[in-house]
Amino acid sequence: MFWHKKEPPVSLLYKNEQSRIIADSIAVIVVLLMAIGTVFVFSASMNIGQEINFQKFYDYPGLRQIMFFPLACLIMYLFSCIDFQRYSLDKGWLKNPVVYLLLISIILLILILIQRFFEIFPKDGFIPYRNKHYRWLQIPLGSFSISFQPSELAKWMTVFFIAALVDKFGDDIKLFWKRFVPICLMIGLVMGLIIVEDFGTAALISLIAFLMLIMAGVKLWHILSPIPLAGIAFYYAIVSSQTRINRITAFIHLDKWQDKLNYQPNQSLIAIGSGGLLGKGLGQGISKYGHLPEDHTDFIFSIIGEELGFAGNTAVILLFIAFVILGIFVIIRCKDPFGRLLAGGIILTIAMQAALNIGVVTVVLPTKGIPLPFVSAGGTSMLLTAAAVGVLINIAKYSQSAPKRQKQSSE
Amino acid sequence: MLLILVIAFVGLIVRCFCLQYFKNDHYTEICLNQLSYQQWQPQRGPIFDTRLRLLAASNRVQNIFADSHLIGDIENIKEASIQLSSVMDVGAHIICSEILDSKNPRYTKLFEDAALEQCQAAQKIRGVAVQTDYRRTYPMGSLMAHIVGFTSKDNHGLEGIELKFDEELRGTDSKNVFFADVRRRPIRLKEQNGILNDGVGIILTVDATIQQFVREELTKQYKEFEAESAMAIVANPKTGEILAMVSVPDYDPNNPLGTDPNNLRNRLVTDQFEPGSMIKPIVTAIALEKGAIRKDETIYCENGDYFGKSFGRINEYKNHRFGNLKIREILIKSSNIGMAKMGQKMGQETLYEGLKKFGFGELTGIELPGEVEGLLRPLSMWSGYSVTRIPYGYEINVTSMQMLRAYCILANGGRLVRPYLVKAVIDNKGEIVQMKRPMPPVGYIIKPEVAKWLINDALVGVVNERNDGGTGWRAKLDKWQVFGKTGTANIAKVGQKGYEDNSNIASFVAGAPAKDPAIVVLVSIRRPNGKLGKGDSGGAVASPVAGRIIERTLTYMGLAPTEKPKQVVAKKK
Repeated sequence: MFWHKKEPPVSLLYKNEQSRIIADSIAVIVVLLMAIGTVFVFSASMNIGQEINFQKFYDYPGLRQIMFFPLACLIMYLFSCIDFQRYSLDKGWLKNPVVYLLLISIILLILILIQRFFEIFPKDGFIPYRNKHYRWLQIPLGSFSISFQPSELAKWMTVFFIAALVDKFGDDIKLFWKRFVPICLMIGLVMGLIIVEDFGTAALISLIAFLMLIMAGVKLWHILSPIPLAGIAFYYAIVSSQTRINRITAFIHLDKWQDKLNYQPNQSLIAIGSGGLLGKGLGQGISKYGHLPEDHTDFIFSIIGEELGFAGNTAVILLFIAFVILGIFVIIRCKDPFGRLLAGGIILTIAMQAALNIGVVTVVLPTKGIPLPFVSAGGTSMLLTAAAVGVLINIAKYSQSAPKRQKQSSE
Repeated sequence: MLLILVIAFVGLIVRCFCLQYFKNDHYTEICLNQLSYQQWQPQRGPIFDTRLRLLAASNRVQNIFADSHLIGDIENIKEASIQLSSVMDVGAHIICSEILDSKNPRYTKLFEDAALEQCQAAQKIRGVAVQTDYRRTYPMGSLMAHIVGFTSKDNHGLEGIELKFDEELRGTDSKNVFFADVRRRPIRLKEQNGILNDGVGIILTVDATIQQFVREELTKQYKEFEAESAMAIVANPKTGEILAMVSVPDYDPNNPLGTDPNNLRNRLVTDQFEPGSMIKPIVTAIALEKGAIRKDETIYCENGDYFGKSFGRINEYKNHRFGNLKIREILIKSSNIGMAKMGQKMGQETLYEGLKKFGFGELTGIELPGEVEGLLRPLSMWSGYSVTRIPYGYEINVTSMQMLRAYCILANGGRLVRPYLVKAVIDNKGEIVQMKRPMPPVGYIIKPEVAKWLINDALVGVVNERNDGGTGWRAKLDKWQVFGKTGTANIAKVGQKGYEDNSNIASFVAGAPAKDPAIVVLVSIRRPNGKLGKGDSGGAVASPVAGRIIERTLTYMGLAPTEKPKQVVAKKK
């Protein structure tokens, strides 16, 4: 199977008006979401009696987010200018940045695991111990330091890599031993590295990978056969950790332990519920003053609910719905299988995270630390997501009604 | 697949709508309960005696409390308890269990009235904080218990002046509702209810020193005669100021819990009784005033057995047999028959009107809670007996306060007197906001000559003329001329007809100096034990107390002796 190659390099001109509208709409939606996020992270990071020392502005999530917002827009624009074909494996393995980045993230993950088990670096140094987990890399840069979550990078690289790999294999994907199993092993490797310290992200990655494989057209029985295995692994992962058992028991009995285990979901419900239809007004919320933990990261949606009420929450959800629907248009209009799969993966990752996060915050799902894409504070996640959306916009721009590159029939 | 996600999103919108529309009230309520409000308590106003000695004050105290939610899990609580135990000098296990067993996990009061160093040390521990509160203390203890009263723990007056002037003393608190963060620091004002105003101070007319004399003397007698209860009151007859007011048994207002509720009330205003002979001078005053009798008239006292169809049989106390008695002799010898005849002479309307004017059957208006008005039946309910019984103190119920007022009127030359207890109200800078002295009442109840004659002739005789049957000779003093009248009244059986045997209320009401009375004293001792062989009459039990109270009080007041100036010191002055 070959791609029809070497058409004149795709110019920066839009092929048609519709593509342009879709691409722009996606950009507008994402910028809007990031703007909402920045405002609310700033609002939620308010604290009493806090004096802001601008020399250390990087220490304040609200200010940091204000800095990341334009940066994320810039990155989104840059990535939208890079031809998405670069990420495919057409030109061979070694010319593809995805491969290198995946390798880097795997190495970083291994480093973190080494630190977890052997403590080779000094505490609070390169790999700090935060919130009872080793999930971060800390790179000192002068007076402040940039924190970075390798698992985020690994997540996106997995999505890109699966798309590229599946595209490379083409119809061969239907071969079980030669194609399907290696992909599964690769996913398993990444997952295994992450799952030790970050169960949620690992589960999310595997779920996305699973759904992408289905989209790619893997034979159903291939997919279904490892499911019992995965199920058993999932079960043991939960049972092996007291925290996870507690969280699930707490979720079942929401009315109990309201000041201990269920404190956070309960506070989240209070924040959202007390907001009412129109909210208490921007900046007028109370929960952010220490009542609701993780208010500016995972539980930012509650703060939006408290301050802007049902209107604010609906607006955010509608933006995500619009994002998904536009994404579906992109997939439909894109005639390139790689682009289609990649777009699907990106939209799936973002929408899935959004749905899970909102589900957790509204206590439809048990508590799990998944940030709300674009909105929650967090540099790594925001920049990487923005980059992914940049890629999606690029795909949208060049998806045409007429196929750009005809697939040649293979022998 | 992505469409499923869209459906999930729509589902989440529905979920949000449920939370924010249908359950909005529920969560708003929780939000308010949980998150807000701070309240500032005003400082309760102090109470002073007439010389500005402190009778009651609210002191600022620091209480240490723990918020187990902020401390953290059990391990943290254990750790905090260990730290606290060194601060508070209490076992760590006690603190720990107190925190864990607390009904309100966010507030466990651990220590009251902590010292400054303790507060500073405690505040360093996470989840432990210091709270300012006020604690009411009564430096004079039980001395002023029945006047001042006491408060509940939450700053509400329950008895005495504390109850009567509760609103003024309490001040106004400001219940400012704040949005607060998780460490209870206020974020911003939600609503403001009221402005914080400390309570005003109250200055009483009572003098703690006189109160001390009175209490000492009364308690001595009360114990000696094994009485059920005893009360005494000292007033200035010219102004109506109450100088002392004691009721025993009493209680400690610093710790009123567990006191017999009977001892909490101020018997001087809440208990009514048949006054017996004490009322005789008042009735005589009415009779003289209305011209029913003359001062020099003689009344035949029937040799101690007066009988008539309409009024039954009347005997004298201790079955004395008196013949012809002058009016003053009737009072000195305390003849019941003489009084009954006096009543008959003036008729029931005059008697009723007169007693009304003297304030019987009405509240005196003293600033104490629970005052009763006694019982003076309306004329329509009077029987044939009434007009003969009331003149010597039966068929009428009075309170000690009413009796005292009546005698103050006599001592004040027949002018109306209104007793009062609160002299002034001061603000928290110590400046007088309001003088509470009631307007001097206008008008004479009886003519000054009648009053003067009664005091200086009849009632002085009660004290002076021991050999002539004067019942109050034990109250006689060297330095000042005392006037007085005894009263020994039987106690009516509860729920039955007739009177109890061998139990009575022994009273003595007196004043001095007779020429220009400076004080009037009433002493009343209920159920003195007559079996002790020391007597149980007003003369035997109550009059010595009254005498000693007058002596000590007038000495304290620095009043120059008016009688028999034997002493050199007094002469020099």
